[in-house]
Amino acid sequence: MHTFLTRGNAILAYTLSVSACLTFCCFLSTVFNNYKTEASIKTVKIFVKNVPDYSASREKNDLGFLTFNVQTDLTSLFNWNVKQLFIYAIAEYETDYNSINQIILWDKIILRGDNAVLDFKNLNTKYYFWDDGNGLRGNKNISLYLSWNVVPNAGLLPSVNAIGRHNFAFPSEYTTFRV
Amino acid sequence: MAAIVEYFKNIPLHMDYDGQARAEKLSRIIISLFGIVGLFWGYIIQEFSQTIYILGAGFVMAAIITVPAWPMYQRKPLEWQKPQSEVSAKTKKKK
Repeated sequence: MHTFLTRGNAILAYTLSVSACLTFCCFLSTVFNNYKTEASIKTVKIFVKNVPDYSASREKNDLGFLTFNVQTDLTSLFNWNVKQLFIYAIAEYETDYNSINQIILWDKIILRGDNAVLDFKNLNTKYYFWDDGNGLRGNKNISLYLSWNVVPNAGLLPSVNAIGRHNFAFPSEYTTFRV
Repeated sequence: MAAIVEYFKNIPLHMDYDGQARAEKLSRIIISLFGIVGLFWGYIIQEFSQTIYILGAGFVMAAIITVPAWPMYQRKPLEWQKPQSEVSAKTKKKK
């Protein structure tokens, strides 16, 4: 503390240490929060087609087409340690090849301050619902659910599954017309 | 021009020892206080950015109050002995 610059340096360093402590307190205040909540997701239209997957093997694979509704209120998930939510819809099912398949069909970022009461009707999927074979046609038990990452200022990055799933079945015939 | 340079050279930048101790103590108190208040305020309104802004305000205030060598930090200068005009022969031999 004997010169002008060392005093400036000392208080700057101390400020940074204090800010690290405050950030840690912020993390501690939210570390035990439960980010689970209810979300309802329902399919409207369901088709399945059998078309070549040019992005992979060029063999004909099953491609599912969905439209769906999403309804949920995520306002309660926000607090002073949440910058944004990254929500995504997962389809989970079983085929002869794989005991578990998980495909992300849709996602959305909700920033803090955005409207977190979601009510979407007839959403199209954002990403292709490709199966790696012919596991979609006639599949009776596809489970569709929402999931989210909670992006914090400091601390853990929880990945949470919503409470509530929607089970649906694909038709047993391929659709040939354009959709 | 020379007068301006002379003016800046004459600004006192050095604190006495007691002043340094008090400046350090005071800066820590100010920054800690702003940090704690900011933490509570940020928690109440659920905005962590406000906590950091309040801490930043504390930093600016501490910088203004304790970085320049204000007269309040120069009240107890060291009492140096008067310079001696002659150095005795004995001490010269020892060196």
